[in-house]
Parts: sequence; C-alpha cells; structure tokens
Amino acid sequence: MAVTGLGVITPLGNSVGELCANLMAGRSGIRQLDIPRCEGLRSPIGASADFRGDAHFAAPRLRMLDRVSQMALVAAAQAVADAGLNFGAENRDRCGVSVGTGMGGAESTDEGYHIIYAERSDRVKPYTVLASMTNAAASWIGIDYGITGPNLTYSTACSSGAVALGEAARRIQSGDADVMLAGGAEAPLTFGVLRAWEAMRTTASPDPGDPSASCRPFARNRTGLVLGEGAAFVTLEEWSHATDRGARIHAELTGYGLTTDTAHITRPTVEGQAAAMRAALKSAGLDHGSVDYVNAHGTATLQNDAVETAAIKEVFGARAYAIPVSSTKSMHGHLLGAAGALEFVIVVASMERGIVPPTMHLNLPDPACDLDYVPERARSGVNLNAVMSNSFAFGGTNAVLIAEAYDARR
Amino acid sequence: MSTLETLQDILIDEFDLTRERVAPDAELAALGVDSLDLLELMFKIEDRYKLAIRDDVPNDLTTVLDVVRFIDRLLAAQSKSVGTGDADRHAAT
Repeated sequence: MAVTGLGVITPLGNSVGELCANLMAGRSGIRQLDIPRCEGLRSPIGASADFRGDAHFAAPRLRMLDRVSQMALVAAAQAVADAGLNFGAENRDRCGVSVGTGMGGAESTDEGYHIIYAERSDRVKPYTVLASMTNAAASWIGIDYGITGPNLTYSTACSSGAVALGEAARRIQSGDADVMLAGGAEAPLTFGVLRAWEAMRTTASPDPGDPSASCRPFARNRTGLVLGEGAAFVTLEEWSHATDRGARIHAELTGYGLTTDTAHITRPTVEGQAAAMRAALKSAGLDHGSVDYVNAHGTATLQNDAVETAAIKEVFGARAYAIPVSSTKSMHGHLLGAAGALEFVIVVASMERGIVPPTMHLNLPDPACDLDYVPERARSGVNLNAVMSNSFAFGGTNAVLIAEAYDARR
Repeated sequence: MSTLETLQDILIDEFDLTRERVAPDAELAALGVDSLDLLELMFKIEDRYKLAIRDDVPNDLTTVLDVVRFIDRLLAAQSKSVGTGDADRHAAT
C-alpha cells in the first residue's frame, strides 16, 4: 500500500511542513481557549487550530459545513494535491473515502441544542442534521471529487482515525479499490463537548504557570488529556497504481492490527493493547526487532500511560527500552477521532525526515513509565525504517498502524 | 425599501450573488438556493419584517418574485391581525 499524499489541519499548523517544524521544535499548540461560554469550564484549555472556514469556503457552502467537515475537506484537498492525483482521470468507482470521527459535527449539535433548550427558540437551522451527522465529512469529500466507490465513516472514539486508515488499506488489499482517501477529523472545542469531557474527570488541569504545558504524557505529574481539533488525511494507493503513474511515495502502510478490550468501557488492558501491536507486526511481516520508533497513544491520563508502557514492554521485551517512544499529544493535544490519522501522518513525516519528535513537558518521570520517551527534545539524524502508531479508545477498539520506508524494502 | 429590494439584498449577501443575477424572474435553483437554503432565508425575512413564518413555507416558490409575493401575502395578513398579538407571538425580537 503506497502512501502518496499527506494533508493536515492541526493545532501545530496547517501543512505537514509547518506541523513537523513545530513538533521538532517542541512547540505546544495547547492554549487558553477563547470560545463562547468557556468561563463555565473548570479547565478552559484546548489545542485549537488556526483555521477559519471562511478563508476556504464561500458563504453558501459554509452554511452547510460543520467545522469538522471544513477541516476535513481542506486536509483532504492537501492530501490529493500532494499525491498529484487527478480524480477526473481515474476510474472513480475504484476510488473511495474512509473517515474516522468520534463526534462528527459536534458544534452544530451543540448550537442546535443551545437554540432549542437555552434560547427556547424553535429556529433550529435547517442544515443542522446534515451538518452534524457523523458521515458528513466523508460525504462532502466524496461529492467534491465525484468519488463513487465506498464512502465510509468509522466511529470508534479515539481510535477512529487509525481504523479509517487501516480499513481503507484493507479495501485496497482486497482488490476492491485502487485509491482511498483516508483520514480523521474532529472539532470538539465547544462548551457542551468540553464540559462533558470534564465531567468524566479525564481532562488535564491547566498548568498554572503555562497553559501550553498542561498535557504531560508519561510524567509523574500528568493530570489528564487535553482536547484538540483538526483533520489529517492520507492518499493510499495500490502499489502498482502509484508506480504506474510515477507518483512520489512517502512510505508504505504495511501493518494494521485491531483488537478489542472488553473489560470495561473506559479501562484499557495490557493484553488488548499488546495483542493489537502484535497483530500489526504480524500483518506487516515484521518481528519486534524491526520497529525503530513508536508514536504512543500517550494521552497523559493516569491509566493509559502506565498500561501502554506495560503493553509495549510485553510486546518488545528487553528491546522496549531501546526504542524511542514518544507522545506528540503533549504538543497537539488529543484530536479524538482524528488522532490516529494525524499521528500516522506524523510517523510517516518523521521517517522521511529521519527525526523523532519529543514528548514534551516530561521533567518528572513516573516509575511506572520507564521507557525512552524522547523527553523534551527531538532527535535528528535517526535512521527510521519501520514506525508504529498506537491508537486506543474508550469502547475498547485498539488500532495499531505500521509504516515502512519503501526504498528500504524495494 | 420594497420587499423585492430587501430580498435581493439578502440574496446578494448570503449567496454571493450579483445584483444582475437576482432579477425578479430568476429561478432560485439557478441561484444555488435550494429548499433548505430557502428555509434559512426565511429566518432573515422574519427578523427583517417581524414575521412568524415557521413551517408554512410553500414548496412551490421557484422564482425570486414567488418569494416576494409570498412575503407580501404574509405582511398583508399580519397587518390585518395587528392587535390580536397572534402574528407577533413568535416574531424575533
């Protein structure tokens, strides 16, 4: 499976180049939020993207698009342009769209409820259903490019983006499609959504001195996750389809592992996460000695980081200590349904550049988290041939992706 | 300002149209205004004229002039019922 295009809208920039520069400099996109009613939040922080829909869409179109679809469309357009793909010249029945999102058009849902319940008005916008439905982003992408093959939306909470990529790869693998535009998108920075996450007691307390340092994966003083918004897309192509048209290939998507934790709706298990990593290695035909970098799920919740560390040790044994493992969520926050797609783009871009992004704000190590998390500073000049991206989720869907540098294999 | 001019101004603002395109006989569909857009457009009309249109928008409004006539009919009905408070009940404030 060739990865021929990448596109992103993120709290760390709206191009892959900008994203990488910020990641490698250890800059954080987490900030004090300025959204309506945020004074009612205990923890009014988030990783917002510097993105305005009206810079990309005219008013008539904008009215129909929730923020999640706006960001998805722009990120997908980048991935198409980067791949140099012209859908007009393709058999579009053999092209598809695969999108992961946790909450879909949450802003439109929130706004509709505010109109009904808070304003006690019945002037709900006529487009509310079409803007908020979970598959809107995927549908709009399909409409924009006239893509008539499968149009699928996966919603497995925080692993949605990884599942969308993995399942898209399977469509190509099975021979049903030549090209899949696959990614994830999430726009959860509205009062209703943020308040609901706070109520679950999983979100980080703002760092009193520096809000941008509030997300501290694997650190003893970690207090929880910080929600972020954005979209990330990749163009996936059947190998000969890509080479026949002389496409530039970023990497090869070789591994996808999918398992489910059934212990509890929020509680991860070492066994389930380890099994997903093993399944991904098996599908890539790799052994545990070949992985050069793991982009961890690393949410900075107490539970996740300790369990994920134990699962990595379970899979990689003594070698776990020699593999750089970092959580870039320390900088871009948790993009929920877009997280897996964004972090896959990050591992591919890191591999291309020979750089490992750091885990920021990790000054106080946790004895339960004792791997090489690349604390505080990126590493450059690293030879990366196989990279792993972990995505785990409430609901238990564990998804792991592996990308390999293609010229190392061919 | 006439109902026609008001509607034309709203269409120009909300749908990125030029004044030449929003002639009275212009078809809404050709202007990129679909049935859901028309419902949203009615919120603006309600605000402008303090009308309560709700779900009573007929589905046979095809031209700009059709919409103008519909609004004028509502305005006429409203002016007849002034004092009953009925038409103002839902009007935006």
